[in-house]
Amino acid sequence: MRSFSYRRASDPDMAVRALSAAAAANNPLTKATAQPLAGGTTLIDLMKLDVMRPAAVVDINPLAHAWSAIEPDGEALRLGALAKMSDVAAHAEIRRSYPVIADSLRLAASAQLRNMATLGGNVMQRTRCSYFRDVSYENCNKRNPGSGCAAMDGVNRMHAVLGTSDQCIATYPGDFAQALIALDAVVEITGKAGTRSMPFAQLHKAPGSTPEIETTLQPGELISAFSIQGRWPRSVYLKARDRQSYEFALSSAAVALDVQDGTIRDARVALGGVATVPWRAREAEALLKGEKFDEALAQRVAHAAFADARGRRHNSFKIGLGRRVVARALQQAVTMEI
Amino acid sequence: MSDKSSSRTSTFDRRAFMAGAAGSALVPMTARAVAQDANEPVAQDPSLPVEVTLRVNGKDKRLRIDARTTVLDALREHLKLTGSKKGCDHGQCGACTVLIDDRRVVSCLTLALAAEGQEITTIEGLATDDRLHPMQQAFIDNDAFQCGYCTPGQIMSAVACVKEGHAGNEADIREYMSGNICRCAAYPNIVAAVKQAAPEIMKG
Amino acid sequence: MTAAAPEPKANMGRPVPRYDATAKVTGRATYASDMPLDNPAYAFLVTSAIAKGRIDRFDLDDARGVRGVIDIITHENAPKLKEAKLFSNGGYAGTTIQPLKSAEIAHDGQIIAVVIAESYEAAREAASRVKVSYTATAPSASFESAGTTTAAAKGQNAQFKEDPVVGDFAKAFEAAEVKLTASYDTPTQHHNPMELFTTSCAWMGDNLVVYEGSQYVYGLKNGVAEQLGIDADKVRVVNPYVGGGFGSRGSMTPRTAIIAGIAKRLNRPIKLVPTRDQGFTIATYRAETRHEIKLGASRDGKLVALRHEGAEISSRPDAYCVGGTKTTTRLYACPNIESLVSIVRADRNTPGFMRSPPEVPYLFALESAMDELAVKLNMDPVELRRINDTTTEPIGGKPYTSRSLMACFDEAAKAFGWSQRSPQARSMSDGDWLLGYGCAATCYPTQMAPSAARVRLQRDGRTRVEVAGHEIGTGAYTVIAQTAAERLGVPLEKVAVFLGDSDLPPAPVAGGSNSTASTCSVVMMVCDQIRQRLFKAVMPSDSIADKAKETVGISPAPSTRAAKGDRPLDIEKAFDALGVGVVEEYGEWKPEGAPLDSFRALHAGQPRFVGGHQMKDKIAYAFGAEFVEVRVNRFTHEIRCPRLVGAFAAGRIINPRTARSQLMGGLIWGMSSALLEATEVDERNARYVNDNLADYLVPVNADVPGVEVIMLSEQDDHINPVGAKGLGELANVGTNAAICNAIYHATGQRIRSLPVRLENIEV
Repeated sequence: MRSFSYRRASDPDMAVRALSAAAAANNPLTKATAQPLAGGTTLIDLMKLDVMRPAAVVDINPLAHAWSAIEPDGEALRLGALAKMSDVAAHAEIRRSYPVIADSLRLAASAQLRNMATLGGNVMQRTRCSYFRDVSYENCNKRNPGSGCAAMDGVNRMHAVLGTSDQCIATYPGDFAQALIALDAVVEITGKAGTRSMPFAQLHKAPGSTPEIETTLQPGELISAFSIQGRWPRSVYLKARDRQSYEFALSSAAVALDVQDGTIRDARVALGGVATVPWRAREAEALLKGEKFDEALAQRVAHAAFADARGRRHNSFKIGLGRRVVARALQQAVTMEI
Repeated sequence: MSDKSSSRTSTFDRRAFMAGAAGSALVPMTARAVAQDANEPVAQDPSLPVEVTLRVNGKDKRLRIDARTTVLDALREHLKLTGSKKGCDHGQCGACTVLIDDRRVVSCLTLALAAEGQEITTIEGLATDDRLHPMQQAFIDNDAFQCGYCTPGQIMSAVACVKEGHAGNEADIREYMSGNICRCAAYPNIVAAVKQAAPEIMKG
Repeated sequence: MTAAAPEPKANMGRPVPRYDATAKVTGRATYASDMPLDNPAYAFLVTSAIAKGRIDRFDLDDARGVRGVIDIITHENAPKLKEAKLFSNGGYAGTTIQPLKSAEIAHDGQIIAVVIAESYEAAREAASRVKVSYTATAPSASFESAGTTTAAAKGQNAQFKEDPVVGDFAKAFEAAEVKLTASYDTPTQHHNPMELFTTSCAWMGDNLVVYEGSQYVYGLKNGVAEQLGIDADKVRVVNPYVGGGFGSRGSMTPRTAIIAGIAKRLNRPIKLVPTRDQGFTIATYRAETRHEIKLGASRDGKLVALRHEGAEISSRPDAYCVGGTKTTTRLYACPNIESLVSIVRADRNTPGFMRSPPEVPYLFALESAMDELAVKLNMDPVELRRINDTTTEPIGGKPYTSRSLMACFDEAAKAFGWSQRSPQARSMSDGDWLLGYGCAATCYPTQMAPSAARVRLQRDGRTRVEVAGHEIGTGAYTVIAQTAAERLGVPLEKVAVFLGDSDLPPAPVAGGSNSTASTCSVVMMVCDQIRQRLFKAVMPSDSIADKAKETVGISPAPSTRAAKGDRPLDIEKAFDALGVGVVEEYGEWKPEGAPLDSFRALHAGQPRFVGGHQMKDKIAYAFGAEFVEVRVNRFTHEIRCPRLVGAFAAGRIINPRTARSQLMGGLIWGMSSALLEATEVDERNARYVNDNLADYLVPVNADVPGVEVIMLSEQDDHINPVGAKGLGELANVGTNAAICNAIYHATGQRIRSLPVRLENIEV
């Protein structure tokens, strides 16, 4: 871990100014010389591994009093970015009206980490690719742009089958982001020019030819809140993994349905553990709208979700697994009692 | 927004000012890497030690440490409170679990500077006088450890698990105690210990 | 009584709480890196990024520029150390690969530099700034790689003495009515004890104190002294508590002498806390293995031919192997047996013991094959074991000192509900889950080694027991305290036990599950020396002394003494008669059949094991039977193991509480070895990939909802004075096979390669 100056932000303006102070040296965001510290579960981890080397760390936890509210108002939901994963997962109204959110959080990490990690930090967490995390490997396009990708032909069981490029196959590891993208969440971003909002689906960027750029967030910008329209009581988060708990997903699905009189009015399907970014399976979910659910339909949806998937030596199984996870999650969502 | 700052922040800033004032004049080797205002350029070399006051088990402890020091290393290397253990240093095992403001966290991923002004409770602060905490006694009764290395973290986690309301049934205890790896695999005994201690902790 | 403290059966002691319980629940138990040091400097390792080749150049300018750096040690300026000989070659080391000696790189993650700084943080930063230029050559990673060399184990590993053989396998197999040929393999695994591989070294003049979690303080003391070229009496190794061993701390690793040498040079205590990932390459591991099993049987299930061929990975310079055929060729009655073990050399760090080193991989093969044979025979797998049960081992015809294998099967089957199993594969389910039941046998050799102890009795009954044994979580403090209290007739709470310090009388390595048998045997003997001194003082006639010997002397079942009318000794009177305030005795014990040089070797840190199949005229093993329920999710193919039931017989159980805990932990280890644990090796560069606790999966609490341990009452008067068989490595054997057998039962799919992951299921 490199030396850094530590500053505690007393208000958002100060935080934003501190984070954008050396803007020229701050691109891409993942390499920015000033980094915000929220729960620390990604930043401190990666700094210890020497993967991230900020010269300045701006502790934004003091902003929690303004940025951590959990506000379901019956027809919409607003979540402060500094709300802790554990608090949101345990919130009665979230569990009732947005089970996909509660479960995606509850099934992530451990109780301790969920007490530390914030929602904003959670969506910004970085890949668990072993070759990315081990700086003794020079060839990582995400860490050293243009250096190659050690995972492509390495041990890649945990890697992505969707949204990959010839530069990077690193998996987006989180769970909560799949719930957000499925529910058409809007992310509120606070920066120098004030606050702006955009669809959460526009936050993450697939690796393409620039895997070092992971989000559209600019240096000096902080996620301050997420908002979701409507209630989604018929929603599930299904997560498959080797271990029963405390493990990243091999494959997961966030599914939300609006079913009336047996007909699917609206359907959302997002995939985790299998893609380079939080993945919305829009073409697959389109097959559901206006239909009555049956097993054959679930299979068609599952296949559509992985139509463009591309496996490699150790991770091809994720295509079949992912399809079964989607089909099962749909089944669970359809049959759940609400 | 500064008028809305928590008491925690203002306390911190006041101390920072005092430390800075004293530091430059009297202790040339000590610098204050923590600026009062984030806009203010940080003149000091960030590799110089900084002063921090940690509140541990009800007592304030003033330290001069590297800004990179985690709560875990501050406890172990600077405060001689070695009950909290380093098993992975990356939040993957739970051996370093402590309570910060009564919430269980992994101290290996918590910067000491960021914990200033908060109440840190470690395994050393759990027993009162010579009486073991009910969770400690339950761990003994149920043989909930073997080598003992993960035990302080397990116990701190278990106390929080009960207080969070996640000890209502065995399945919940197992799930909510899964952030603490026990390589000796005393897990079934840990579940039994949490079950035993839970009513007493909830009562008291 | 809680479930943790089972009611003792015949030939079991009391399930008293652990001696070290309070220390461990209050955080006061001090592990090596908890020991206070006076103004320590901090060490951080730099390890190799290539597995084979050489270092061309270091660029240290950047690293030296980090504030607080004191020194950076590389092969160019490292303290000169003497060669470390392998433990199996009369030395102490687990590897002969000595880092910092030359520019050569022999394996991934080899130590290539040590940064010393004023703080941990500065040392870590400087280590990350060390720049290294290598010339890399293509390494051989494992079995599939080009460039490995393969040769029979016999002849290259001094501890592998024979490939057991009896009868005419080829002919019998050819003629067998039912035949099975199957191949199995097991992966690389790392111990990952919770305590990191830390080392602190402090010199006081010419005397060195080493604080390091070790399973063998005498071995480490002598080994470090040898490498430093100093008298062993100048070295003291201290570790009153060890945060898990599982074999990883049994032999000396190169780091200790390096740190000691640097501390000497800098004249300052040095504290090294390596990272978790460094632990994968600076210590040992369980090497991957390959097996081919051939079984021939008659239609009624009698084995007529058995062949077990095993291959194991080792490093280029060291012929480490576990050679489990010594056990698999002796487990069942069979007249025609053949075996062969080979070692395959690759560019890897030298492997070493990991909990039940031979039995875990070798019984996986045999016990899977037995299940496959049972399927072929359309026979209950328990009955197949019963038909082939034996009281003598088939290779040498020696009798087992005791063998409760089938009793264990019967008890465990009953507790598990085996009779509820429908024999057909894929015939049981529960909602989303396919259900499978499986079972397997376990066994582990009973071993003992010479040990010494000192016991001091005060007139108020306070007793101090000193033995350089090791508390690695097994309950060593507790069973030693119980043994002394029982033998001297003093209250347990008056007994103080001191372990984990090489200034104490020597004990063997805490390995091979010998510790309880060895250390409790010597403590019994020394306590008896005290009793005899006291008896002689009160009634100094020979006949009374003989009576004392008879009534309190070494006997397998101390409870029988009461029947002989042994009255408690009046300690006050005896002390007055002796005219002393304290009675202290020192003694050295060796098991029957131990070699002549046993006591020399004991002090030199070289254990002389006796036991297993290597006893004269007999063979001693502990046995058990394990039953598991496996659930395979129809949709995700996730595999879970909600129930593990094991029944075990291991002679005298000194403390049913600590014994149960070890067996329970062992069962979970066994499950883990079947479903979770594998170190991934990148074949291109022979490097470990998942070298951390997020990616190297070990079980968490939620993985083990139901574990039941049954301890059978067993008395064995032919093994050691205590009558105890080691059980620390008994329960994690065979579990992997039981789980694969259950997966077959659940899915109809036979999986012969570990670990079994959801992608291996094809339902």
